[in-house]
Amino acid sequence: MLLIPCPFCGPRNESEFAHGGPVRARRPDPDAVSDAAWVEYLTVTPNPQGPVQEHWWHVRGCGTWLTLWRDTTSHDIVKGPDDA
Amino acid sequence: MRERLPQGGRIDRSRRVAFTFNGRVYDGYHGDTLASALLAHGVRLTARSFKYHRPRGIVGYGVEEPASLVELLGADASGNEPITTVRIRDGLRAKSVNCWPSLRFDIGGVNQLFARVLPAGFYYKTFKWPDWQLFEPMIRRAAGLARAPTQPPANGHYEARHAHADVFIAGAGPAGLMAALVAGRAGKRVFLADEGTEAGGGLLTRRLRIEDRPAMEWVADAVAELAAMEHVTHLQNASVWAYREHNLMMVTERSPDHDSLLERSWRVRAGRVICATGAIERLLVFPGNDRPGVMLASAAQAYVNRWAVRPGRRAVVFTNNNSAYAVAADMQAAGIEIAAIVDARPQVPPEALAQVAGIDVLGGHVVVRTRGRMSLRSIAISPLAGGATRSIACDLLAHSGGWNPAVHLFSQSRGSLRYDETLAAFVPDIPAQATASVGAAAGLMTLPEVLTSAAATGGDVPRAHEAAYAIAPLWRVQAAGKAFLDIQNDVTVADVQLALREGYDNIEHVKRYTTGGMGIDQGKTGNINIIGTVAQQKGLTLPEVGSTTFRSPYAPVSFGAVGGLRTGEVQFPYRHTPITEWNREQGAVMYEAGARWQRPGYFPQPGESFQETVNRECGAVREAVGVYDGSPLGTFELKGRDTGRFLDFLYTNKMANLKPGHGRYGLMLTDDGLILDDGVALRLDDYRWILSTSTGHADAVNQQMEKLLQTEFPDWQVMVTAVTSQWNNATVCGPRAREVMEALGTDINLDNAAFPFMTFRDGTVAGLPTRVVRVSFTGELSYEINVAPRHMRKLWDRVMAAGAPFGIQPVGSEANHVLRVEKGFLSLGHEVDGTVDPHDLGMGWIMSAKKSDYLGKRAVALRRAADKPRRELVGLLPDDPNAQIPEGAPLTPGGRKEATEGLVTACVWSGVNNRWVALALLVNGRTRQGETVHVRLRDEVIAARVTAPVFYDPGGQRLRS
Amino acid sequence: MRYDVTCKQAGLSALFDLKGPQADLWGWAGDHLPPMPARPNSLTRRGGRSLYHIGPRHLLLRTGIAEEEALERALGPAAAPPQISIVRISDTLTFFAVTGRDADQVMAIACPLDLHPAVFGADAVSHTEAFGLKAMVLRCEGGFECAVEQSHGDMMQDYLNRALT
Repeated sequence: MLLIPCPFCGPRNESEFAHGGPVRARRPDPDAVSDAAWVEYLTVTPNPQGPVQEHWWHVRGCGTWLTLWRDTTSHDIVKGPDDA
Repeated sequence: MRERLPQGGRIDRSRRVAFTFNGRVYDGYHGDTLASALLAHGVRLTARSFKYHRPRGIVGYGVEEPASLVELLGADASGNEPITTVRIRDGLRAKSVNCWPSLRFDIGGVNQLFARVLPAGFYYKTFKWPDWQLFEPMIRRAAGLARAPTQPPANGHYEARHAHADVFIAGAGPAGLMAALVAGRAGKRVFLADEGTEAGGGLLTRRLRIEDRPAMEWVADAVAELAAMEHVTHLQNASVWAYREHNLMMVTERSPDHDSLLERSWRVRAGRVICATGAIERLLVFPGNDRPGVMLASAAQAYVNRWAVRPGRRAVVFTNNNSAYAVAADMQAAGIEIAAIVDARPQVPPEALAQVAGIDVLGGHVVVRTRGRMSLRSIAISPLAGGATRSIACDLLAHSGGWNPAVHLFSQSRGSLRYDETLAAFVPDIPAQATASVGAAAGLMTLPEVLTSAAATGGDVPRAHEAAYAIAPLWRVQAAGKAFLDIQNDVTVADVQLALREGYDNIEHVKRYTTGGMGIDQGKTGNINIIGTVAQQKGLTLPEVGSTTFRSPYAPVSFGAVGGLRTGEVQFPYRHTPITEWNREQGAVMYEAGARWQRPGYFPQPGESFQETVNRECGAVREAVGVYDGSPLGTFELKGRDTGRFLDFLYTNKMANLKPGHGRYGLMLTDDGLILDDGVALRLDDYRWILSTSTGHADAVNQQMEKLLQTEFPDWQVMVTAVTSQWNNATVCGPRAREVMEALGTDINLDNAAFPFMTFRDGTVAGLPTRVVRVSFTGELSYEINVAPRHMRKLWDRVMAAGAPFGIQPVGSEANHVLRVEKGFLSLGHEVDGTVDPHDLGMGWIMSAKKSDYLGKRAVALRRAADKPRRELVGLLPDDPNAQIPEGAPLTPGGRKEATEGLVTACVWSGVNNRWVALALLVNGRTRQGETVHVRLRDEVIAARVTAPVFYDPGGQRLRS
Repeated sequence: MRYDVTCKQAGLSALFDLKGPQADLWGWAGDHLPPMPARPNSLTRRGGRSLYHIGPRHLLLRTGIAEEEALERALGPAAAPPQISIVRISDTLTFFAVTGRDADQVMAIACPLDLHPAVFGADAVSHTEAFGLKAMVLRCEGGFECAVEQSHGDMMQDYLNRALT
């Protein structure tokens, strides 16, 4: 059970959050990219062994969507939403 | 209690307790464990081993006990508890685990049989045998631990709680108490948990002094001081069984002070964790080291000092370190004859010898054999350097292989371990979380060091004295015979050697192949000996071999405690509407229908079959009028300048041009082109909209909207408020719905021209403030009367009363399913799976061509550009109108055993058609209307004609009427 | 020993969900609102009304149900400018009062949030979980108030009964 830093509420139990998946590339303009680029955008999700930037939704808290960096090998939150 | 000492011990001799063990009644005193009470009666044989069914006795005195596990029977049925941790009380019933066929069954034959059947890696090997099934029953019965209870506890329940602390301390021995005093005095919120029945840890079982008084007096003072601090929580009988990420500690408290609680689990989030978990004595490895009567030295000391029990009359002490000398002294003081101290070290340090004046100490000797059928009678010793063996008669062998700091929690926290040559043990090295180890857990083996380390952050350290600790490691005695490294899992030196021979030479592989260090024991007494044996065999040092990962739970935990209150009806969440109670009163059959809502499936009347009930409810809607509770539909209010633009991105069709007062059906896709939801958008005014979603996908739609607005389009001005529970509705549907509305009384003009299909009006109905929406999920004229939940029951009662003259019927979800299938309205989860796009459903019209972009547009276009055959939604009419097709049944060419060309998504008895009708997804289905296709079932093939996916009012006149 | 706690389901409160920039909210409806709570997850009170700061640009205005109609007219949700959202949500939450000597212990069963008075003070209010359900928690006379989505009210009562058995 992680302790997740919410920028509004402070550290909260993971159970208050929904995992929103890794942060992916920004959605390209569908009318300006090739088919291959679009498929890449749709299907390629970062899945590193180590720090990954990901979305969490504080759905049972203040409702904030936040991003943080979590190390997938240790669950350490190596960079919180408010960290520079 | 013939082995009970006349005085002493931390037992209450005024309170006798009667209990049953393996069917026999014994007595003991309040304060006894099962182990101490049985030893007081001279009971030596208490278990059969896991694989070989060797006779086993009591080896330890606490959670480290590897040999004797018991199953509790009756009201407190539970399995696999170490015999040393079960407190006796009146009426307790316990039995040994693994005692099939019986505890005293002749060992000779069984022993040999199992030794052949169960070498290291036996699971891996036997799984490959062609005739595994011949051996399976025997192995399962033999190698099982206790049975799981078949019933929930007869009385009481479990509870799980959350707690928070600045400082969490695991262990209330001298180190833990000292650390708690320092933190508590500094005003920190302290959570102190200890697995023992009382605080003191190692001080409970030894005769040490602090500040020139018996150490337990210092313990009593410390406990009293902590109890007076409001910010300190101090639990005994509370095992800290897991150290999780981000300093979350899992604790199970047995026998909490509460009438009906069996156990309580705690999830404690701590700023800092102090592991004051002490050290666990390890076994010496020599042939026959598992015989009943062979006991850890610390255990013998504990039985003598803490429970005033003689674990034997004539003892030999076998050691490689100093700690066993105090044990010999304490046993002698209790009247036990010490035949000899056998020390593997040729040079015994003088501070050890000084403790045992008058006892025969044999330096440089080892035990090479033990004898005695069900219990120890003698041992054989020989010089370590080789030479003649000689026998010593004894009924107790107290042995000590040295001490392992209890690094389990520290290791679970991902802290790394370091091998300490002086201690010949692994100690905590680099922490991975905010944690510190103090006392023996940090490798500090004498009381003054323990107290000093625990007081590290400040405060006075009480004075104490203890002889220095010194050890010369002895990983195993080289002699013939079964020498056990891991008594619980029956792992011998030979097993480890076999694993190494077969190429499993990584320590983690050795663990898995031999099962050494697994199970509930988690290597407490034996792990290091396995590592030492591997090191010796391979000519490596211990750090080169490394240690295996310690896993949670540190000690057995009951599932009940983990689950807490979450059992029975509340195991999963449930949701009710204000009509739930009414539904139950009507005898509705209720079940979950999406998003945890309990909904009425159907409302049977006396004597009706299921089908008759559904037919009656459908008939009412088609011919007269019905009403259903549509409250679970997801409802959201959206506000802001960019709402129209946002909805245009969210839905496949155009929404921004909708006029206030109007509604529009819409479809939402995910960006990879899958159907997320279908629903209706209503426009209240320029900036305010209401979104109505399907029940099951309300949360997913909410998540989609919030994620987009907060992460993709933070500049867009749209605010979303969930109002699912602000709006309940009764949906009145059927050709006579308008008459019912008139009978209810309303200030809304119900004329079809004034209030047409897909519009809504705010007004009063039956005297209640409402918003009435003309949508239809049944294909009939429908009024969805929305009210605040506080008015819902009133509205419902008034609808039922006003509708009675028209024959109104409440309609359950089964009838709703029939009505929507007759109309070919799609249902997420039936017609929609991860392969289907709107074109396949015949809904290409809803994919806006005008909008350059919306969620899923490009993905659907890309997929369709591949121009592969698609499964398309069709209707099916079985050739035999009375043939029902199971939902989900496959369609194959000619009904032959070939690749499927589709599946049946729904099949219902259609009253209006007087036959079964079905919806299906069929390859190229739209061009195949009129063809006959075949449903392939196990025992039959059903032929059916392909039609359009609509069986009733294809023009949709009725819902617009 | 059992818990010395009383759990009572409360009647409806008038509740309004307010969203948008603070300046715009106060520009439109400031006269009807208690002062802006200083910190996230805190509340202010004035004249029987209380204002909960429960999310970024997100407030909850609560008052007695008798005041609901008048307050809604004063707040004017339909006429409010596009940059703020005002929605009546009185029926969406079911409130429970958990009071008595052991209220904190029962709340510790329900809720993973640290409710120690040094951390969760008299003016604290926050969304969190109660028995695994989304819930809003705040202090009240002699204990805590805990609100769950109205459809979960029966389940919450069920859980509380189990906790107090």
